[in-house]
Amino acid sequence: MKFTPAAPAFSYSEKMRVRLWSIFLFLGLLLPIAGILRAGQASASQSYVGSSACKTCHADVWLNFYKNAHYKSLASGKEPPEKTGCESCHGPGQAHLEARGGKETIQAFSLLSPPKSMDACLACHADQFSRFQIRRSSHTQASVACSNCHSIHKPATPRHSLARQQRDLCYGCHAGVRAQFTMPFKHRVNEGAMQCTDCHNPHGAASPAWRMGVRPAMTHTSASGEQSCVVCHADKRGPFAFEHPAVRVDGCETCHSPHGSTNPRMLRRPVVFTLCLECHSGAGNFGRRRDGISTQSGSHNMADPRYQNCTTCHVRIHGSNADPLFLR
Amino acid sequence: MKRYILTAILTGATLLAQPVVAPTAATVGRVRGEDVNNYNVVHWFETGYRFHSVDGNRGRYRSDVNFGNGVRLLQSHLTVHSKEGHGRLFDEIALNTQGLGNDPYQSSALRIQRNSLYRYEMNWRINEYVNPGLTTGTLGGHFLNTRRQLQDHQFTLFPQSSFRLFAGYSRNTQDGPGLTSVQLFDSRGDEFPLLAGIGRRQRDYHVGAEVGLMGFRFTVLRGWQQFRESTPYRLEGPSAGVNANDTTTLTSLSRAEPFEGSTPFWRFLLNRETRGWFSANGRFSYAGSRRNFLLEEAAIGTARFGAAQNRQILVAGSGRRPVSTGALTLGFHPGQRFTLANHTAFHQVLMDGDSVLRDFNNATQLANVLRFQSLGIRTVTNSTDALFWITPQVALYGGHRFSTRRIRSREGFASGTFSELFAATQQNRLHSGVGGLRLHPTRAVSISLDSEIGRADQPFTPVAERNYHALGGRAQYKTKSLLLAASARANYNFNSANLFRHSSRSRNYSLDASWTGRSWISFDASYSKLHLDTLTGIAYFAAFEFLETDRSFYASNIHAGTATVRLSLPRNTDLFLGYSRVQDVGDGRAAAARQPAFSPVRTGPEAFRIAQTFPMSYDSPLSRLSVRLHDKLRWNFGYQFYRYGEDFTPGMGYRAHTGYSSLLWSF
Repeated sequence: MKFTPAAPAFSYSEKMRVRLWSIFLFLGLLLPIAGILRAGQASASQSYVGSSACKTCHADVWLNFYKNAHYKSLASGKEPPEKTGCESCHGPGQAHLEARGGKETIQAFSLLSPPKSMDACLACHADQFSRFQIRRSSHTQASVACSNCHSIHKPATPRHSLARQQRDLCYGCHAGVRAQFTMPFKHRVNEGAMQCTDCHNPHGAASPAWRMGVRPAMTHTSASGEQSCVVCHADKRGPFAFEHPAVRVDGCETCHSPHGSTNPRMLRRPVVFTLCLECHSGAGNFGRRRDGISTQSGSHNMADPRYQNCTTCHVRIHGSNADPLFLR
Repeated sequence: MKRYILTAILTGATLLAQPVVAPTAATVGRVRGEDVNNYNVVHWFETGYRFHSVDGNRGRYRSDVNFGNGVRLLQSHLTVHSKEGHGRLFDEIALNTQGLGNDPYQSSALRIQRNSLYRYEMNWRINEYVNPGLTTGTLGGHFLNTRRQLQDHQFTLFPQSSFRLFAGYSRNTQDGPGLTSVQLFDSRGDEFPLLAGIGRRQRDYHVGAEVGLMGFRFTVLRGWQQFRESTPYRLEGPSAGVNANDTTTLTSLSRAEPFEGSTPFWRFLLNRETRGWFSANGRFSYAGSRRNFLLEEAAIGTARFGAAQNRQILVAGSGRRPVSTGALTLGFHPGQRFTLANHTAFHQVLMDGDSVLRDFNNATQLANVLRFQSLGIRTVTNSTDALFWITPQVALYGGHRFSTRRIRSREGFASGTFSELFAATQQNRLHSGVGGLRLHPTRAVSISLDSEIGRADQPFTPVAERNYHALGGRAQYKTKSLLLAASARANYNFNSANLFRHSSRSRNYSLDASWTGRSWISFDASYSKLHLDTLTGIAYFAAFEFLETDRSFYASNIHAGTATVRLSLPRNTDLFLGYSRVQDVGDGRAAAARQPAFSPVRTGPEAFRIAQTFPMSYDSPLSRLSVRLHDKLRWNFGYQFYRYGEDFTPGMGYRAHTGYSSLLWSF
């Protein structure tokens, strides 16, 4: 038996190449336009007064400021004025000082629009890898700005200056997800064993190209470039001699509800065999051979409860090194 | 002036999780901490005793809740900060723990750093997972009672500089007893339970550097992951199998199945953000995963018709799985009103092996040759998103996503003179468009509307997205003391092929309210309805008859609600009351009208339509009392009740009384 030598694995088709070049050209044209638009904007005032001027009126903030992550800019003594202490976020304070206060005379985050608020933070924080996708993240598109989740002066958590405990922040908008985590089968987020950020990046993530690149949104990719599930569930990662293709092609969510479910093992269906039969119908041009995903053999009598729990025999359902039917 | 932390969390409206009853959501001690030399220290600890009592299915309780009895360090908090930011050895220590002692969910997080010099962060977690063979409608044969430990360490040198070095180590282990099964000696043979001592180890080491130069930031990361599993399996003794009417027997079975692998990987990042109008970043990673495996199984027994069986299976080989990923993102944001971002990503994985697997049967002296099934997947995706603020109150956003995925597959099999080889290639293209509207008519009100429509031409599975669309909306009114929110989202997917149809509809609705009207009371309530119904064509054998016109209809209507009240009562007493309920009403019919999962006397188009509902309910009321005895001491008592019930499988319900009493203290 001989295998046919593999053709060059994954070359781009001509159509694809044309599409990509069209996109790059389009974006290239936008560059000079953006520059022209930007040039018309007035530059900010450079009248910095230093943080010590702020503590007279804002003593409550100043007294705890040494515990703030942003205090590092003051402690170092090497940062330029626009990146030091209070004025690194609130902008030059001269006008505010002369006016004896007032939110209109300084960059007050409570008055900033979401894009402006985000720009102020990204002036320093844009260069961190975890925020590379923030401009196109679902949160940004939903006008969720940094200050919706972070509280710089009154953080509720010792790390990341969060305004609330992380799960409470997320549940604030994602009520459906909160409901899923109250179900009997769930990842232990309410119990404190996990956090939403174990799987998600709230600042945006690269498209999940390990699936079709559309969903799930804002999900971490592991350091080695794979979906985040295998970071903890390393035994499901493979490579296996016999992969369950649906796991590799469409991801764990083909069968599981990752937040929580009323079904054992967080499966999408309560009864195992119906979950399997929905794909293994032999119909259409699905599956690795494009001739339908194989049906069960005639030896299975689905009228007999013995055959209704498929994984009793197909124990290695995530992939096997020894059996193409996942029997061992 | 001394100020003390208000013990209840009453600082603004927000939606809170329904927590487990302990640890107590309170603190003690001075809010600004104590000054010691040039450092400020804030700390508190909560120690106490947990208790529980379970009526009903104890295994199910351990799967869902799993709190036990005993003394615990329920939580602790310690922060040490240098007051000038120039500590000799460190400027900050932050340590938080939860559940230490013997809780099923334990964690601790530590950060130590000295400004501009180093930062060390550690996360350590234990998660005990129990699954007592839970399945719905049928008997489950797989038990799991394992403890998973995860720890991550990350060290960064010069964290504030333009040149950073970092190194990390992670360890992930899973240990504990399990019960699995093996099916012998032919496709209609019996199933036999096997005991398994699960032992899995994964370690990850990585080192890297980050350089910022001329507005660019370049990061390189080199890592190594190692995985090892050595789970021994054991048959307790001669077994007649689990099916009484099957004559297959198993006298002895030994199986060893060690495998190990490593994944060395590289990751490169490049980022450029020109303040205000242009950003670009790219990422590339390569992981060359490889695993070596061995399986040796020897089974002796009798087949269904009494023939003696002596079967040995020996499998040895190695697999590799190189993964290449990359992404390039370009962002344009001229001015504050317009943002355009284009993102291209690719992911390429090839699962292949250079091994030939031999399945040798001692009894028949036949050997099957199984080739490694090669599977290659390459996905390229491009998305363009635009966000335009027409006025400070109104924004529009829209986007287009395009993905193309190519799958190449090769399979081989040989037995005696018969051999088979199959290779296939397929490509799926997906186009989808998204659009939405953002409204902020006042500072307190925000409204968002979203829509999405997508088309894929070659989905891989019948349940994958093919022709789909989604509509959603959310409205929120938020002030410092009041939050009202309502949201709705509907997803529809239709995937059809010749003689087959799959349609799926999910509709989610939620209402939330949170009120902190006074300094002594807050209220929080949430209700969600999660509706899902799917209708899928299926095909199967029943009593030797192949049925291919049947359909599986699954309907789920889940109502989930949570309500909590926090009260600060006189005499330094805080009271917390909460209630959570999840109920799946299925398709709404009375329990008497429902049928078991599958009716053996009734096959045909109606068989599955009847089966697919799963009515259940899960309640959990809780109350917690916390009394301040002293500025640095609180006494807490909590009680939480759990009740689970389902109409589907008998014996699955339970009622559990859990609680704790603790002291929260600071010194």
